[in-house]
Amino acid sequence: MLEFAPADYQALWLSARVATAASLLVLPVGFALAWLLVFSRLPGKALLDGLVNLPLVLPPVVVGYLLLLLLGRQGWLGGLLARFGIQVVFTWRAAVIASALIGLPLMVRAIRLGMEQIDPHLLQASRTLGAAWYDTLLTVVLPLSLPSMIAGLSLAFARSLGEFGATIIVAGNIPGITQTIPLAIYDYSNTPGGEARALALCLVSIVLSYVVLLLSELALRRFGWGTSRRQGSGSRAALRKSPSS
Amino acid sequence: MVCAMENTKERIVKKTAHILRWIPALVLALSLVAPWPVPAAELRLSVNASMREAVLESVRAFRNLHPDAVIVSNFAASGALARQMAAGAPADLFISANPEWMDFVVAQSLVATDQVYILATNRQVVVGSATTAAGQLTDLADITRIAIASPESAPAGRYAQQALRQAGLYDELRSAGRLILARDVRQALLYADRGEVDAAIIYATDARLARRAVILFEVPQELHEPIRYPMALTLTGQKKALAVAFRDFLLAEAGQAIFAAQGFVLTD
Repeated sequence: MLEFAPADYQALWLSARVATAASLLVLPVGFALAWLLVFSRLPGKALLDGLVNLPLVLPPVVVGYLLLLLLGRQGWLGGLLARFGIQVVFTWRAAVIASALIGLPLMVRAIRLGMEQIDPHLLQASRTLGAAWYDTLLTVVLPLSLPSMIAGLSLAFARSLGEFGATIIVAGNIPGITQTIPLAIYDYSNTPGGEARALALCLVSIVLSYVVLLLSELALRRFGWGTSRRQGSGSRAALRKSPSS
Repeated sequence: MVCAMENTKERIVKKTAHILRWIPALVLALSLVAPWPVPAAELRLSVNASMREAVLESVRAFRNLHPDAVIVSNFAASGALARQMAAGAPADLFISANPEWMDFVVAQSLVATDQVYILATNRQVVVGSATTAAGQLTDLADITRIAIASPESAPAGRYAQQALRQAGLYDELRSAGRLILARDVRQALLYADRGEVDAAIIYATDARLARRAVILFEVPQELHEPIRYPMALTLTGQKKALAVAFRDFLLAEAGQAIFAAQGFVLTD
């Protein structure tokens, strides 16, 4: 029943590549931003917080359009990159950047939740033992944030798989080059008689996204970071805190 | 015991006050989801996005003749409109950007075959920056990036594809990655207007909206199927006097003049 054209396989492969690249790209950025938002005493943290979350609430079309203005030939960043012979718009790089930006708030939120669960006593202990901030970051915060990083990765990956609005503006809808699964579905749904092929791809994207979410849940359990346990340690931390307050 | 009762009473009062505070918000939320009252004599138009300006202009002119007419216009890609109608969305008059989607709604028994008229036709032009050196289609072979609407999702893209194929350029441009497929014809125009591409093949009517891009040349019409905009009253529209009057208005001199002023080519 399910039939796929060669262009569909290209779209699948491209979607996987774009989503992987976007979520890996956004992981370090998301970690750094979450760390800033949770542990730093930056002035104007609320502003940064709002800025990070903006792609979550803005229409993706707006994100795509702003990216086109920034990365296009006439944009200041696009013009700069063009001098080094790097073209971004209408290439798969543009799709990666669009997906990464859209997935960033999800990544930051996930990691931030994890970081807020870290027992402050551990941070204080590391400080009293003479650890520098980067030492604490690498040996306490980073390992304890791993589960939330996996959660963030899977969320960003799944979101990238579904990115449409920003991608189609800044990358175009070019089969084999920038046409990811949602863009191919859009094409089919706008073709008379394209229903079956659109549905086939819809099914693929549902299965793919579901598998990603399942795998991340499985990974969290495998490493002993199940949701239940995390909640448990959180409440224990709350208990420990209560007498002193 | 009394104290406990008093306590409960107080709690209930407090709770009620708490709930009462939310009532205005609740009413507002409900009024947003509740169905809007629909007036009886209402005309619903489903019009392809490229005719937006011309149809809005026509609606304004028509209202001068029928001041009480309530006209609801729905502008979108023809495919989206046709699927909406197939899914039961109310529409009295459908204007498609290509015959395929009109055939689709005819096949869905939403429109009777004898109701289909050709409202207007269109031409294709190549736009680009004034410095782009191109005077005919074959000159596009030397141009770095050319935008067209995606042939799969937009009728404009299919006409552009046909013209490029006829000129023997399509496969070469496509495999070289120099053909930028945009979501629709307006987006292809945006790319050309912003200088992201060197040229774009778009409708003559859309080219009038360009700010910086200029028309380089017209695409010879024999290179592609004729660009026709079929219009039809739906089965429900046929029964409405207002819908019939608006259809006739569009086909009469006044309506046709508006479409001609927007750059559409009229049929005889």
